Amino acid sequence: MKISRFKSGSVTLGAALMCATVLAGPVTAEDMALGPVVGPEINEAKAALGKRLFFDVRLSGDAAISCATCHQPDKAFSDGLALSLAYPGSKGFRNTPTLVNTATAANWFHDGRLGTNLNDVTRESITEDYSMNMDMRLMQERIKQDPVYVEMFEAAGYGEPSNGSVRKAIPEYLNTLISKNAPFDTGSMSEAATRGQALFEGKAGCVSCHNGPRLTDDMAYNTAVPDNPEIWSDPMRHMTYAAFASFMGVENYMNVRRDVGAQIIRHPVDGSDVGKFNTPTLRELKYTAPYMHNGMIATLADVVAFYNNGGGDDVNKDERMKPLGLSDAEQADLVAFLEALSGDPLTGPEYVWEDEIPTNYPAIENWRDVSN
Amino acid sequence: MRSTLTLMAGVAAVAVSAAMVNAGEMGKYPPLAPLGEPPIPLDNKQSDAKVELGKILFWDPRIGGDASTACVTCHEPDQGWAFGDSLSRGYPGTVHWRNSQSVINTAYLGQLFWAGSAASLEKQAPSAAKGAVAGNGENDVMETRMAFIPEYRVRFKEVFGTEYPLIGDAWAAIAAFERTLIVNDTPVDKYLAGDKSALSEEQVAGMELFNGKAGCIQCHNGAQATDENYYNLGVPPAERWEEDGLAQVTFRYELYAKGVTQEMYRKLKDDPGLYFRTKEADHMGKFRTPPLRYTAYTAPYMHNGSFWDLREVVEFYNAGGGENDFTDGTMAATKSDLIKPLGLTDEEMDQLVAFLEAFSGDELRVDPPELPPYEALASE
Repeated sequence: MKISRFKSGSVTLGAALMCATVLAGPVTAEDMALGPVVGPEINEAKAALGKRLFFDVRLSGDAAISCATCHQPDKAFSDGLALSLAYPGSKGFRNTPTLVNTATAANWFHDGRLGTNLNDVTRESITEDYSMNMDMRLMQERIKQDPVYVEMFEAAGYGEPSNGSVRKAIPEYLNTLISKNAPFDTGSMSEAATRGQALFEGKAGCVSCHNGPRLTDDMAYNTAVPDNPEIWSDPMRHMTYAAFASFMGVENYMNVRRDVGAQIIRHPVDGSDVGKFNTPTLRELKYTAPYMHNGMIATLADVVAFYNNGGGDDVNKDERMKPLGLSDAEQADLVAFLEALSGDPLTGPEYVWEDEIPTNYPAIENWRDVSN
Repeated sequence: MRSTLTLMAGVAAVAVSAAMVNAGEMGKYPPLAPLGEPPIPLDNKQSDAKVELGKILFWDPRIGGDASTACVTCHEPDQGWAFGDSLSRGYPGTVHWRNSQSVINTAYLGQLFWAGSAASLEKQAPSAAKGAVAGNGENDVMETRMAFIPEYRVRFKEVFGTEYPLIGDAWAAIAAFERTLIVNDTPVDKYLAGDKSALSEEQVAGMELFNGKAGCIQCHNGAQATDENYYNLGVPPAERWEEDGLAQVTFRYELYAKGVTQEMYRKLKDDPGLYFRTKEADHMGKFRTPPLRYTAYTAPYMHNGSFWDLREVVEFYNAGGGENDFTDGTMAATKSDLIKPLGLTDEEMDQLVAFLEAFSGDELRVDPPELPPYEALASE
């Protein structure tokens, strides 16, 4: 344990500990230690089933998109866009986050609105009207119509296909998406990256929030990332946000002109959670540009420069966001360290369902004679 | 309870021993009559502005899940304001599970959908717009989309007085538009109003059969030619359920979504109709008597589109209906005692078809509206 790494952020650490304790039990120094991500045990049959489901467009209402439409393997399961796609007829208002290591996260979505488990994340993503807009009862019956699924559910020990088992199988697949061979983990970092790590844990203070194996404390802060104006200039994005805000109970949602972030969770009356977003993981950043919850920063160098300037302007900005006084060389070292946190791309048959998935449904031939 | 039901069914069978309606029974049924003007609910009065708004919304696919499926998608004016396939087309990636019914003259109905699951047009519209195999829309998305269409903001404010459109008001406007889709000047209306030249001899003969030997009037009565009651005629199960995987998916989905018992979910192979609403075993396979107006344009017929023309329908009745899973005891035996072989000749069947066609009048077409575009709100 290198406790010294926390010195530069000791005040911060206290605050983080207090907050996190409320949500998820005591955070220990061990939790905060940097190191390889260790994924859960995998059940191969369940994960294989989840993999096929992940790539199957029939899991969306109009069979147009799959999970993989926005979570693309070669982009570390993000999509390369500032603001994500959405279900046809809507347009997204946030950046698609990576799913690598999501199995070990404590909460999900940029506003952290789900703090339970991947079962709930799966349900929300499949059913939410602007994401996949799927009635899971119809999804279940679609899956039951595919003989390949009938076999795979059986082999996975789930019995007959059901929407409940879909919400278990997809998380089992996500459990397999764990960072692999990042130079940071294999001890093969460059000298620049090594110097960057020292800055990360010291002068730059990154570690006060970006800690633990995924380099995130899973807490929400306001770093004053500028709002993405496209959310308000593109009516299809704005309406999608407005529908979301209405559903989330945001007051006066038609007149809101910024992404209120974590405010939707507790709705503090003083608005103090407006503009807070979850600390993102720093793993696999090589594949997941552009950055921030709204894709407003294009490169890692720009992200580091943003922090070096003390972040943006916002009344709720976290007081720890201060100019860092990093030289150009120091900033370059930090970028080198960030890049060393990316591993091998999780592509290939181990991670991608490569066989064709039919989009039609064979008829059950002796339909009248078999039980539904 | 079961024995009581059986007893009652037995009594009914004795009371109506043949389909033929004798002169003494004629008066039991509300006679066919000119349609007149539609009733307008006090809580959704008509106005030109509301009707015009409803018309635009009826055509607007943004009132749906992926902005591809409008009311008009399954209620097409050139297909009788219905859809010209056995099962309606359904939302992309699905097929629907029943035949799409005409919107024409629905203003007069107290029960919409084949099992009468909506009691007003205001309730029918959201049910269609939101169902997973119909519009698959959700209120929050559909409502906020309208807010980004400046023309809708203006029109809703004028009609309903709101700053931003409300989804409930959209259903009210659509219902108001549908109440203008009236065909009440058919040859039958004119004839019944006193113009004896409005029907041909063949059609008059058909009407007499309708009121008499064929017994149609027993259920298809009153100005709308429906008693809005529920019967099992023995319409055969949809062929597509046996042949089409997509239709099988939807069939099971409906069993699941409508909340039948596990046993029923496993066993049902035919649409149980009214049972979905009441969960009463003796309601299995029963469907609401459809109105007969405008039927010349709404083929195919029956709740699952089993018959492709009116002659086939008449032949079906002449044969005493048919068999399905709720007539043969597989799941129930609820076939109506009113359905018996009619003994109609070929000529008589032609006469009945000619009469039904006279119940349809001219086709009602309207010019499709121009759909107003989205526009950013942010500058406001």
